[in-house]
Formats: sequence, C-alpha cells, structure tokens
Amino acid sequence: MVYPTHHRRIVEDLMGGKFILSNEDHYNSLKENDKFYQEFFKLSFDLDMVMKPEFCYLISKDTQENFSRDVCIFVAVLCYELDKDGQNFMEMMDYHEFNYEEVDRFFENSSFIDLIESNKALKDQDGRRTLINGMARRNIVHKSFEDRFIFTQAHRVFIDFAKELAMRKMAVSKEGEDVSS
Amino acid sequence: MIKAEPRTILSFLHTYFDVVRDLFEFQAHDGLISREAFDMIVKKHGQQNIVGKLKEYRIVRNIGSDYEMRDVYFKMMEFLLFEFKPLLPETIEKYKGAISELYMKIRLGENHDREILQERIKNISHQIREFVDLVERNAFRLLSETRDLKSNIERVEYREKVHKASFWIEYYILPLNKILDVNHSESVTSKLIEVSEYANRKRLDFGDETIRSEFEKLYGQLIQTNQDLLRQSKILTNELLPLLERIRTESLILTGFIEFLRNPYKVDSPPLLKGSRTMVYAKDMLFKVKEFFEQFENQESVYYEETDLQFDKWIFDRELFRNQLNADLPVKDFFGWCSKMLLKDFPHIETEKFFAITGLLFDEDLNVDFPKKEERTVIETLNSRISVPKIKIENAPKI
Repeated sequence: MVYPTHHRRIVEDLMGGKFILSNEDHYNSLKENDKFYQEFFKLSFDLDMVMKPEFCYLISKDTQENFSRDVCIFVAVLCYELDKDGQNFMEMMDYHEFNYEEVDRFFENSSFIDLIESNKALKDQDGRRTLINGMARRNIVHKSFEDRFIFTQAHRVFIDFAKELAMRKMAVSKEGEDVSS
Repeated sequence: MIKAEPRTILSFLHTYFDVVRDLFEFQAHDGLISREAFDMIVKKHGQQNIVGKLKEYRIVRNIGSDYEMRDVYFKMMEFLLFEFKPLLPETIEKYKGAISELYMKIRLGENHDREILQERIKNISHQIREFVDLVERNAFRLLSETRDLKSNIERVEYREKVHKASFWIEYYILPLNKILDVNHSESVTSKLIEVSEYANRKRLDFGDETIRSEFEKLYGQLIQTNQDLLRQSKILTNELLPLLERIRTESLILTGFIEFLRNPYKVDSPPLLKGSRTMVYAKDMLFKVKEFFEQFENQESVYYEETDLQFDKWIFDRELFRNQLNADLPVKDFFGWCSKMLLKDFPHIETEKFFAITGLLFDEDLNVDFPKKEERTVIETLNSRISVPKIKIENAPKI
C-alpha cells in the first residue's frame, strides 16, 4: 500500500494535538486525501478529523478538555478586553502581534479578574506563558519572538464556538419570549 | 396668509432658535408636541409671549389641544441640524411610482399640449430631486447611526447591538440597496437610466426648442443624479453593509464569549484532541498504581497484640568497631574482616548487622584501596550469600 506524501508528519502532528494549517507543506496532501484520513483516524483511533479551509485538527469523543477550556477563557477575555479598549478585536486576532506585557496588562485589569485568579493556567504571568507555549505547540499561536506571538487561523475554532453559543442562547431566549407572549 | 415680512420671520427664528429647536426635537421624538410639553418648553426659555407669534408665522399649528410643527419648518430644522430620521425604503420607493407615471405620460403626450408636457418635465425633475435628496439623507443618517453603534457611545449591550445591526440591514440597507441597484430591472435607478436615455434622445431631436431645452436640463440633472446615486450605492455596499455585518458578527462573538465566561465550567468548550501523556517509566503505570491502591480498599480489620517476648537488641557501636579496625590495619579483605568480627560475637551473621559494619567503609579517614584485579569474596549470612569485592584498607599515610 502506498501512503500519501507526508503521511508520517500528518499523523504525528494530528496525534500530537496539533492543528495543521493551510500554509504548511503537508496540509495539501492531507486535503487531497481527506477521505482516506477521515477513515484512517476513525478506524485506527476512533477519532474524528475536522477539515476546514484554513486548518485541520482531530477531536476526541471526550470533550472534558482542560486545555481547550483554558484557551477558550484566554481568547474570550482577550477579545472582550480588546473590544472594551476600543480596538477592532477581530482584526487584532487576525493580524496583530501581541506581546506578553500587553496581554498581562489586559488580564491584570480585566473585570473577569475573579475568574482569572481562580484558574491555574491564567492567574499569573508564568501560567499564561505556559499556556501560550502550549498553544504554540498546537499551532494555535505562532511565536514570533520569545515574548511575542500572533494567533494563527486555528483561533477561529474558539471564535466560531462563541458565535454558535450566542446563537443558541439567543434562540433559546427568543423561544422563551414567544412562549411567554 | 402671513402678514409679516420674510426677513422678520427669519429674524424671529434667529432670536428664538432654542425654543424652535426644542419643539423640533420633541416632535422628532414623539411625532407631536403635546400641550404640556409645548407649555413646558416655552416656559423653560421664559418666552410665554411668543406663542402667538409661533402661530402667526405658521411655525406651529394646533392639532386638537396639542401642537405640530409645520412640515416646511420641520424639514428646515432637520436640514439645519442635520438630524434626519432614516426613512423606511418603502417611503422612498413611492418615487418610483411617481417618476414612472410622469415618464409614461411624457412619452404618450409628446405630441399633445406643449404646456402640459413642459409642466410634466419640470415635475419629473422635481420628483427626481426629492428622491435623490431623500436617498442621500437616508444614507447619511444610516452611516451616522452605524458609526454610533460601532463606537457604542450609548454602551448598548452586545446582544442589543446584534439586534440593531440585523434590523438596520434587513429593513433599511438591503431594501435601499435594491432601490439603488442599477442591475435590478425593478429598481428606481434603472428607471432613471431609462428616463435619462429618453431625455438624451429628445434633447437632440424634439421639434420644439423650448421643450428641447427642458429635456436638456432634465438630461443634465439625470447625469448628475445617476452619479450621486452610484456614489450612495457604493457607500451602502462598500462601507455601510460590511460595517454593519462586522458589528453584527463582532457583537455575536462577544455575546457568546460573555455567555461562556459567565460560567466556563458548565459549558462544554470546543472539543480538541484530549492529550495523552507518554510516561517515561511505564505505560501501564496508571493501572499498576490503581491496582496497588485497590488492594487497600475494603480491607479486613487487623488486630495487633503486643507480646512481652524478649528480642535481640543489637546496636551498632561505630566507635568500637572503628578502633578495632584501626588496630587491625592493614586489612587485606575488608568485608572478610567484617564477617570475622561478627562471628566473634554471634554464631551466625545477620545481613542487617553485616551491612551496619560495612558502613565503616565510608569513613573519610580510611585509606581504601580498590583492587585492580577482579577478586571477590563470598559472605554467607543467615538468609543470603553476598558476593563482594576484596577491598584493602591500608594504614593511613603519615603526614
């Protein structure tokens, strides 16, 4: 049997929890063999592969993932604080190079301080550095320097999650209004 | 009939502008000026004496016991204050009917009465002017409302922003865009282009010179109008619509994030691959540890009884053995010496005691010599046979 090109790298990256981004060499091979890999990961490891135009990643059945929750809180607080600061947060998430100092300032002055302080991965600078390094390992951010990073397209998983959550919430409250009226 | 000179009226407006503005703002908000509001406004400015003049100059009129600002003044104030209320596109679309009707009558009546034709051309021109004016005002107002929504001066909640943005898009921008869409056969703009083409032909070939000149004016106006409408259409599609879409999306995302941050531990976060950690010591360590702890679960009660039996208490006297070793130096086989020492006092060698004595080897003052050759000696203790190297202890070098 002949495996697709970059097979080993694709499997190693995805199994390591990494997002494969569309600007990486092995993404094209993965995209061309989308069906094969969907089946491969499902049959071999019972994992689902999510293929998006900008990135690809694996998901487990077990959704109780602390890392995902921590990243989601991180992104949520950052977006909220950027917006509060009058910045165009969607543009910032797409193109801005963040530095640790700036991120620390947002977190330390956030109105969600209680939540931040109760979370081990976010409560202090070291925790946040570790989380950002974890995000870099998974290709959610790209570290341009030791203390600087840019979000990759993978951050959209969390943005889409927020959109869906809002729509679900709004649909529920609309239903509630309809029932009460 | 107004007896006053126009200049007097303008001077009156200038002097009492604050009162007129308050009346305008109240009507813009409520649609009508209630008697109480009217009295309150004039009283606030201490100008109760001007009520008569307001009526005389036909600035306001009575509607039952309430008041209304006359349309001409209302529009003037709107224009002066640049406070246009966005109109529903349905209101603007009515011009399409009026323009189409006049256009049809102009075409059909080309060869009839000259005067009515001239009047119709003037009227269509007037309708077009009004239409463009309304579109411009609407686009301006929508843009300003959208920018306000974006900068969120009123601190509108994100969910409310989503609703507002969706509302503007659905009821104002998209229908207005449809009216201005030149590619849409039913749009007002496409009708205006048709009129413009017709006027262009007629300004050149119409028999009567006066009418030709009217068509010339109409054509000139329409060229400008079409450019203006194109500009407005571009503002709508290139600026307003993307801006509103952006506000809607941004607000939706922030609504979701705020909802999530309210209690992040109760909502399932986006599923990712659950990390599996490779243990350097053993892959099945977790199961082994579990197994180990499981044996302590549901443990049977164990009773322990103390006995009075005497047991052998032997405490290693380091000083004694050290002195003995020093006395015996040099020792060719240290471990052999240890076993000999024990056999002096006990019939058997116990492993524990043997290791206690071998601890002397770590004494820093001893001059230990490790043999180059592989020579070993075997020590038999009560429960084991220990194979150890032959280690020599020399006399300490004299300094």
